[in-house]
Formats: sequence, structure tokens, C-alpha cells
Amino acid sequence: MRIFERLFPVLALVIPLAGVVWTIDQFGSASVERVATEALIRLVFAIGLYIFAGNSGIVSFGHMTFCAIAAYATAWQTCCAMLKPITMSGLPAFIRDNTFPLLPAALTSIALAGVVAFTSGLILMRLSSLSASISTLALMFILNVIYSNWTTVTMGSSTIVGLPVYVTIWIALGCAVLVIVIAYLYQVSRWGLMLRAAREDEVAAQASGTSLYWSRLIAFTLSGFVAGLAGVLFAHFMGTVSIANFFLNHTFLIVAMLVIGGMQSLAGAVVGVTFISVVIELFRRAEVGFSVGSTQISIPAGSQELILAGIMLLILIFRKAGIMGGKELRWPWSVRDDGTVVGVGQVRLAHSADSHR
Amino acid sequence: MLEVKQMVAGYGRLTALKGVDITVKKGEVVFVVGPNGAGKSTLLKTISGLMTPTGGEIRFQGERIDGRGPETLCRRGLALIPEGRHIFKTLTVQENLQVGAMIRKDSAEVRSDMEMVLDTFPILRERFKGVAGNLSGGEQQQLAIARSILQRPALLMIDEPSLGLAPLVIDQVYDSLRKLNETGLTLLIVEQSTGRIMELASRIYVLRNGKVVLEGDREELTDTSALDAAYFGFSSDAA
Amino acid sequence: MAYFIQVLIDAVALGSLYALVALAIGLVFGVMKLINFAQADYLTVGAYSLVIPTAAATPSMMFGGLPWALMIFCVVLSITVLALITERVAFRPLRNTDPTTLLISSFAVSYFLQSLIIMFHGGRPKSVSIGAALTRPIDILGLRVGGVQFLTMTVALLLLIALVLFLKRTSIGIQLRAAAEDFSMARLLGVAANRVIAIAFAISGILGGVISLLFVIQTGTLDIRMGIMPTVYAFFATVIGGIGSLPGAVLGGYIVGILSVFLQAYLPEEMRPFRDAGVFTIVILILLVRPQGLIVTSAAKERV
Ligand SMILES: Nc1ncnc2c1ncn2[C@@H]1O[C@H](COP(=O)(O)OP(=O)(O)O)[C@@H](O)[C@H]1O
Ligand SMILES: [Mg+2]
Repeated sequence: MRIFERLFPVLALVIPLAGVVWTIDQFGSASVERVATEALIRLVFAIGLYIFAGNSGIVSFGHMTFCAIAAYATAWQTCCAMLKPITMSGLPAFIRDNTFPLLPAALTSIALAGVVAFTSGLILMRLSSLSASISTLALMFILNVIYSNWTTVTMGSSTIVGLPVYVTIWIALGCAVLVIVIAYLYQVSRWGLMLRAAREDEVAAQASGTSLYWSRLIAFTLSGFVAGLAGVLFAHFMGTVSIANFFLNHTFLIVAMLVIGGMQSLAGAVVGVTFISVVIELFRRAEVGFSVGSTQISIPAGSQELILAGIMLLILIFRKAGIMGGKELRWPWSVRDDGTVVGVGQVRLAHSADSHR
Repeated sequence: MLEVKQMVAGYGRLTALKGVDITVKKGEVVFVVGPNGAGKSTLLKTISGLMTPTGGEIRFQGERIDGRGPETLCRRGLALIPEGRHIFKTLTVQENLQVGAMIRKDSAEVRSDMEMVLDTFPILRERFKGVAGNLSGGEQQQLAIARSILQRPALLMIDEPSLGLAPLVIDQVYDSLRKLNETGLTLLIVEQSTGRIMELASRIYVLRNGKVVLEGDREELTDTSALDAAYFGFSSDAA
Repeated sequence: MAYFIQVLIDAVALGSLYALVALAIGLVFGVMKLINFAQADYLTVGAYSLVIPTAAATPSMMFGGLPWALMIFCVVLSITVLALITERVAFRPLRNTDPTTLLISSFAVSYFLQSLIIMFHGGRPKSVSIGAALTRPIDILGLRVGGVQFLTMTVALLLLIALVLFLKRTSIGIQLRAAAEDFSMARLLGVAANRVIAIAFAISGILGGVISLLFVIQTGTLDIRMGIMPTVYAFFATVIGGIGSLPGAVLGGYIVGILSVFLQAYLPEEMRPFRDAGVFTIVILILLVRPQGLIVTSAAKERV
């Protein structure tokens, strides 16, 4: 029972997700299934970002970098055997002339993203949190400039097409569950707890100097790996890779999802991605238009983005901690150490320590 | 001039002041002493409008002022030199003084007041065009006082004027505070130590854990043992 | 030699531009700890205000059709008003929150404005031509210099000098600097919070308006992304200069601008497209050596 209680924050996220996926798989149309799959991949990315931003309190605008690196890496290895020597002639010969199996390609691509995250983190994690936030942007710009212009290897700003499409809704779900578990295990680990403690208390953060550096670096690297996984999934879901997809628009979408759900908890990430995915899909359909009786009604193109930015601002102003308020879902009947029963509504905060004052 | 009644204030869930009463009359020099963390700085921040009290009331020259912002209160004649002095280090001495005088419209008098403070603190005249961050601690304290005087306040509040200064410099600072008081300026001064306040104090409050545990006129407190007892929390009523 | 002088003019021009944007960002950061992404959109909206909102690729003029003095006035005024509106509606309610939340909120404001432009103007780049007469090369001391470069350098330098004089010599400027250094203390001395914040935003808007015109004269195109690069460069200018330091922002602006122009001029032909990556990499390396930036503002060490 205690195990169940401990795992409840994860199960409470995973079981509903699996239920929704099963329902869609059974009864949903192909287009609904596509939308849901894409949402699950975004969830993987959002959780990747959460692992760093949620735990450290430093928001990153540059995580698309790791996504792009992994997506391109898997494209190089798996796509279009016939065209590769012509369109991407600058690739090293053994990559250019061979096609690699999907799983090893995915794993090496993810590893590459993680290594880049670690290397850049070595520098960025030394900065103050605000400077680090901004510098993650630099990372994304550097990558964008290089990949947009490195024509012989990345095809520049053109789209690489012809990747094997193997990401089904179940694979996306499997990966989402995996990263939820990883994120949870990380945040209750010593490193995760330390980082969260530093997030709550600036003074403690300063005092713990070098170990803070390392715990930030670990979070950054881990989140780089997970973002890399999202990149691989994107690539093999779309079947195409294009650098334009890994830039500010997508970054904004994911950051908005995290902020709206609540940046400081895993449940917030899941709720944010789900909620916004539904909202976006509704507005996308409304932009295409639907008919009421005999009249065709549609809202102007671009309202979707306006609404999203608007919701995000309102959340920031009126409920800074997001929908979930920085809380995890908890076993509603759990008995606390002091013997009191925690009700459904009262969820313990991460920093309950200062209530002992 | 200043009446603080049953004031409560704090930071989020932490209540730093738990019902504090303090009175300052015109022309007085009132001291609030207490150990680190007693709530002295919180008291001054709340009176000056930087923080909003959650209970009680504050009256200044007869009017309720709690809940008003510092921009308003300084125009009513309330000045605060916060803990750590907070001079503008990237501005010159002159610019610091100009910011101090900015709420005043009487430019001719500002000019004569400027001369007056430069006479009182000659070092500031010497460093007039220099960047204030280059001044020593004592000089910075003088600049902070000069800047506040240019506001022409009715009541000047100072948070730990002797903090981080050498004994000789502290004497200078207190000497200038005494002279200012003699020209009619009312002072409310916060200090951590009871050491050198007795000669200047009209009245003394001892603050511990957000409560006033002792108050009295200078005459009443000539026997410093009561003061020390309250300060360190020995006496029975403070426990 | 002549080439070098042209490069130098470009470097001063771009350096001054970045210094200006960085100063605007630094001022707003100083008074409310906000790093304002929306600065990018002040630029973009300024440029788009030249034309009538349509989806056409070569739209007809709105402000761009006015006599030049009136055009500058209208563009600058509308962007200043826009900057003040964003402050009032989006940032004021968040005034006392942490810098990270403010940064995210400005990201949202930026996205909102960008979406608005797309809604009214469409997402594709457009071409406009204003100030065609200015693009002709001119001779100075026997050297042929691009007219646009010369204009940019002159305007940017003049603006920078004007802004520095405003900050150093006027009472409001001094108050603004005081507030940017220590906001609470400035309030204790009677500096009105709303007023200095509004002034900082107005400066952002004025600079945004003018710079957008310079960019349009230079490139002849409108693009929804046109404000992003200069703004992100200005962010880095403030970071390497030392976040919170105004002289640092100017210094950082020149470093970034000069680096950018020199890389463009002296990199081998095939490497030039990678110029921006080069600048950002150098910026990150500078941060590696000085994580706090070149001018450290933290109270204790302040002995400039
Ligand atoms: N900015 C703050 N945030 C939270 N707690 C604070 C803050 N400033 C002071 N405190 C707390 O309020 C109490 C009173 O502090 P303060 O007024 O600074 O005391 P003093 O000036 O007498 O040393 C202390 O417990 C201190 O820890
Ligand atoms: Mg104190």
C-alpha cells in the first residue's frame, strides 16, 4: 500500500493518459489519433524542459536545440538512402553511404543531444539564473544559424523528407510514460531535492555554490536527453525534419504549456500540455470553419496564437503557479507522519518545511 | 508627531512585528534597540511605506499614513535611511544629493541647503563630482544623511547608522546627528547595540521577537541593567 | 584602407544601434527587473506601421507615404504608445514578481504582438521602399561611403549621445538612473514608480520606432522576425556588459556590433553565413571567463 501511495503521483498521471489513448485508439478517427500522438510527443518534450526548468527555477528558451540535434542525427542515419549522397553530400562517408537500423539510430541521436546539453551546460550553468535563461537562447540561435546554412549536411533551410515513420500513438504513449517515471525518480532523488530546495531559497542556493552547479548541470543534461528523445519522436512521426520547426514558435508553445499547467510540478506539465493541446485543436478547427445550419462560421487565422498568448498572460497575472499550482497529485487518503489525514484539496507543497517556524 | 499603534507586519507567513506601539514627539531622538532579527528594520520599512502593515495603525502628524507608498510619505516629511545606507553607487555625489532634493520646488532654498550640507560634511564637497561608490563607509553614511536632509524631512529615521563603521567614524556620525537634532530635526534611530546611545536618547524602546519589551525615558533607564536584561531577555516579563 | 574605413563605419553604426537597444532593455530591467522580449516587436510593429495592413507582398503605404518628418513622428509616436500599453496592461500587474516570471510574460507579450501582425499583415515578407534617395553612396574626404551606412551611423550616434545626455544632465534622467540602480531607495526619496517605469518604456518605444525605420531603409523589407535578431543581440549586450549596468549595456552593444561587422567583413566568403553563430559563440566564451559580465554591479565590489 505504501508503495502504491509513493507511486501515486506517477500513476495518477499515467493511468488517465493510457485510458485516453486506449479510447482514441478504439473509437477515435485517424485525425484525432494524429493530434493525440503529436500531443504526447510534445508532452515528452515538455517534461524534458520541466526536468530542468521546473526543478531549477531557471526557464530555458533553448531546449529546441537538443530536439533539433537528435532529429537531424536520426535523419542522417535513417533517411532516404538513394538521395542522401546527393542532397547531404557533406556527411561523413560511412553515414552518407549506409542506412542504420532504427533503434541504434534513435539511441545514438538521443545520446548526441545529451552530450551537447552536458557540454553547453558546463558553461551555462555557471551563470546566474537570468543570464543562463538568456544564454539558452544563444544556444538555439547558434544551432539555427549553423543548421540553416550548413547546406551540404543539413540541406539548409530545406526539409529533409523520407524518414521512416514508425511512431504510433502507443509508442508515443510508451515514451511519455517512460519520461514521466524518469522525471519523477529524478525529482525525488537527492540531486532533484537539492535543486528544488535551492529554487525555493536564494540564500541557501548561494551557500551551496559548487554542488548547486553540479545539480543544475545534471538536470540540464538529463533534460537534454529527454528533449533529444522528443526530437527523434518528432522526426519519425512527421517523416520529415526541417530546422524551421525547431525555433521560437515551437519553443513558445511548449513554454506556454508548462507555464499554464504550472512549471513547478510534473502534474502541471502533463495538465498544461493536455489542456493546451485541446484548446489549440479546437481553435484550429474553428479557423478552418464549421457550419451551423446553412452558414459557414470561421474565426480569423491566427486567433489560435493570440488566444494562447492571452491565456498565458492571464495565468501569469492571476495564477502564477499555473493550473496545478506547483503541486503533484497525491494519494487522497494518505496519513501524514503526524497522524493527520491530508484531504483531497489540501496537497502538500514541496517546501512544507517552513511551516515549522 | 509619529504614533504607531498595535502594528502587525511580516513577510508572507512570517510575522515579524506582533503588535508594536511606538511614539515619537517633535524634537525628540528616539532609539529602538534590539538584537539581530528583532524586527527593527521591518518596523522602519513599514513606517516609511516600503511595506504595508497587516494590522494596527500608523499616524504621522495626526493623519493615518499606513498603506501609503513611500513616494507619498516622503513628500509629507518622512525620511528613511535604510540599513546599509543605499546610496546610489553609480551616481556622483552631486547626483545623489540632487535626487535627495528632487521633491522640493523651492530651488533657491535647495541651493542654500546644499551649501549648508556641504559645509556640514566637507568631504562631500571635496568629492562632489566623484562617483559615490568610491567613498569609504563613513563617507557613504555622511552622504546618505546629507541626501536625506535635503528632503527637509520633519522626521528622519535611520536604520543602524553605525553598522560597519570604525568607532571614531561612529562618533563623527553621531556628532552630526546631534547637531541636526539641535536644529530641530526629529530622529528615530535603530541600533543593535545599546552602547553609545544614552547621551543622545530622549527615549528608548527595546524590541525583541517583534514585540516591545521595554520602553522608557533616558532618566528612567540610567540603570542600564534593566535595559540589558530586556535586551537579552533575562527579565521575567520578557520571557 | 578604404575598405577598412567602410567596415569601421559599419561597425560604429551597428554597435551604436545595439548599444541603443541594449540601453533601452537595461533601463527597463533596472526599474522593474524585466528583460523585455517585446522590444523585438516594438521594432517590428514600427516597421509594419509604414504600410496598410493587407496580405499583399508590395502593400501600399500608410505612414510610409507621409512626408518624412511626419512619417518619423507618426511611427515613433505609435510605437511609444504601444510600449506604454504593454507596460500598463501586461507588465504592471506583474510588477513585484520575480525576474523569471517577468521574462516569461514578456515572451508571451512578444508572441501576442507577433500574432497580431500576422493576423493583419500575413506572415510573408514584404518589400517597401522608403528613403530611396538615401541609399546613394556619398563622398566624404575622398572616400565613397554607402549612404545608408552613413545615415545609420549618424542617427544612431546622435541618438546615443542624446540619450546619454538625457540620463546624465536632466533631473528625470538622473532619477531614472537612480531608480535603475536601487528602486526602493529611489521611491523613498520621492521618485514616483509609475512615472520612471513609464519613462523607461517610452524610451524603449522611441528607440524601437527610430531603429525600425533605419532597418527598413537598410533592407527594404518587412519581416515578422525582423526585430528578433537585434533584440536578442541587445540581450547579450546587457548580459556580457553585466546585467543591471547601463554603461555595461552600451559597452556590450558595441562589442556585439563590432564583432558582428568584423566577422562579416573578414571571414572567408563561405563562412559568412555563419557569422551570427560566431558572434554568439564568442559571447558565450566571454561569459565563460566573466560569468557576471564585464561590469559587475553587485553592491560590494562596486568601485568602478
Ligand atoms: N525580506 C525578508 N523576507 C522574509 N523574511 C524577512 C525578510 N527580512 C527580514 N525577515 C525576517 O523578519 C524578521 C525581522 O527581521 P528584521 O526586521 O530585518 O530584523 P532586525 O532589523 O531587527 O535585525 C527576521 O526573522 C527576519 O528573518
Ligand atoms: Mg535590521
